[in-house]
Amino acid sequence: MSGAKARRTKKLTFNLALFLIWVVIFAVISIRSPSFLAPNYIINVMLRNIVEIGMVALAMTLIIITGGIDLSVGSTLVLSAMLGGMAAASLGTVAGVIVTLAVGAACGLLNGVLIAKVNISPMVTTLATMFLYLGLARGISHGESVYSYPFTGFMGNMSMAGIPLQIWMYAVLAVLFTILLSRTATGRRLYSIGLNSNAARYSGIDVNRHIILIYILCGLICALASFIWLGRFTSIKYDAGTSFNLKVITVVVLGGTSINGGVGDMKGTILGTLIIATLNSGLTVMNIPIDVQTVVQGGVLIAALISYAILGERAKKKRIIKVEQKVYNT
Amino acid sequence: MSATLKRFRTTEFYLSLFLLLMLIVLAVGAKGFYSINNVMNILNSFSYILIAAIGMNLIILTSNIDVSTGALISVVCLSLAALGKQGLPFGGLLIAAILMGAVLSTLNGLFITRLRIPAIVATLATTQIFQGVLPLVVEGSIYDLPASFTWLAFDAKLFGMMPASVLICLIVTVIAILFMKYSRFSKKIYAIGNNMHGARLAGIGVEKTIVLTYAIAGALFGISAVIIATAGQRVTTTMGSGLEMTFIAAVVLGGTSTAGGSGKIAGTVIGALILSIIAPAINYLGISQNWSDAIKGAIIIVSVIASASKTIRRKRLIQSPVVGKSGEVAA
Repeated sequence: MSGAKARRTKKLTFNLALFLIWVVIFAVISIRSPSFLAPNYIINVMLRNIVEIGMVALAMTLIIITGGIDLSVGSTLVLSAMLGGMAAASLGTVAGVIVTLAVGAACGLLNGVLIAKVNISPMVTTLATMFLYLGLARGISHGESVYSYPFTGFMGNMSMAGIPLQIWMYAVLAVLFTILLSRTATGRRLYSIGLNSNAARYSGIDVNRHIILIYILCGLICALASFIWLGRFTSIKYDAGTSFNLKVITVVVLGGTSINGGVGDMKGTILGTLIIATLNSGLTVMNIPIDVQTVVQGGVLIAALISYAILGERAKKKRIIKVEQKVYNT
Repeated sequence: MSATLKRFRTTEFYLSLFLLLMLIVLAVGAKGFYSINNVMNILNSFSYILIAAIGMNLIILTSNIDVSTGALISVVCLSLAALGKQGLPFGGLLIAAILMGAVLSTLNGLFITRLRIPAIVATLATTQIFQGVLPLVVEGSIYDLPASFTWLAFDAKLFGMMPASVLICLIVTVIAILFMKYSRFSKKIYAIGNNMHGARLAGIGVEKTIVLTYAIAGALFGISAVIIATAGQRVTTTMGSGLEMTFIAAVVLGGTSTAGGSGKIAGTVIGALILSIIAPAINYLGISQNWSDAIKGAIIIVSVIASASKTIRRKRLIQSPVVGKSGEVAA
């Protein structure tokens, strides 16, 4: 009981720490270059540029919490955007939308089935499908670009009440995913699968079904993000998704989700998204070249990891000493 | 009779069958595939893929992984170019590359063992750092490199035609096979991959072994970087990017389990050979180069499914009541 309580307070301070880090970064950047603070810049550059990564990170959090990983998200995004764009060009917008979503779901389904039913490790599976989806996108498009169509243009450039549509969509998704993970039985089951999948199986959870479903969900979110992506850039080429997967994983890990599964929450991922968004656009405003930005991102990630490691180590040490004393007493 | 047959039916056996089939199809369907020029080109790319894949294999055997290899190779390539511009001969370049690779990779190993960061995340972070630092030091690329730099690619030929990189590769492979078979260190690697806690209780210095494994792998990445860098007179900042996936693919294709603890160098050799043949093979079969990634991915999936179905069948036969899988606990 007390252990559960202690963990709870630790988690709280952890998200609080992330929030404070974000505030500090935000403050430093806005003091050094006040033009960053313009609402227009924050909405149209800082938030708009991170939406696709942020969306996929929400679904990726679910996957990483179950102890899995999905390296194929970038390729799924590109493949679904491409096939959808081609369908839209020849059969019309409705077909394009349906094909995009169907391709995203199919990509996720293949990942999920290989991982859950065939029992191949998530990393190997999604590494292979990453090649496969990317290769399919490249082969089918003959290496040429696919262009935006009315629906994606609407998704990528429409504004509602002065704020771009995609930010609204991200906000809604963020709320839904937070509720899904922290307020529903499904969320609890995902944690238990990540902590110990065998125990979860024995306690009556259909582990395979849950795993397949979250990979499909991730594929669908990738398809959704691909609409926005295609609309925003007006065209997409097969190499557009390179290193998208690493960016998404960076955000999730920065948010405190353990890559070993079972630990983490949605609020952390959302804060991680905000931190990366602020860093990216803030450093651009400060005229810092993009390569330094990569280094800074890597540095932030390492700093975060080191602090988790220290926190985790301390908690572990306390536990170990307690157990040893018990052994001596008896 | 059947017992000996069973012993032959390893992952390596099926892989070699597949490779043989591929080679026969190419002999029949692709004119000019076996021209000396093409074969030598394949051998060259095979050597650098294999050398690095052997390093990756060591890392994966300890149930870790390294996704920063591509960025690391880029860093080493560029530093080599800077040194080569000063006229450093090949021997010096090789030593410098081995040292640099080992040092950078040790950094990964230290992050993983000292700070207990999961390998994929730690190497993800170092990837970003390696990649970001590069363009800061060099603007775009280093070019007009002297003949001493490209000596390996253009002047050093065995029997007048075979690239010398093959010789390096052969030496590395033979040493690696002997090393994995006879050294005590390799047994430690397998022990850690199979059961880290068990290995620790058995008195193996787990942290030290992992760091050393990364250092050795880094040295191999360095050697591989020499072959990649000296292929031409121009070295760019993105020479290694994306290569890590090819290396991991070669290792996985070769039957090494990403859970660690099982896998052989022989498998990696065949895996690397298959991967280095795919791109030119597609070219000679008259299929567009655009399909090469898709075919690579499909081959990996099929081979992994094949080996997974084999272990599933075995598990069903022997231990149906035991649900726990080895390797899952150690994570």
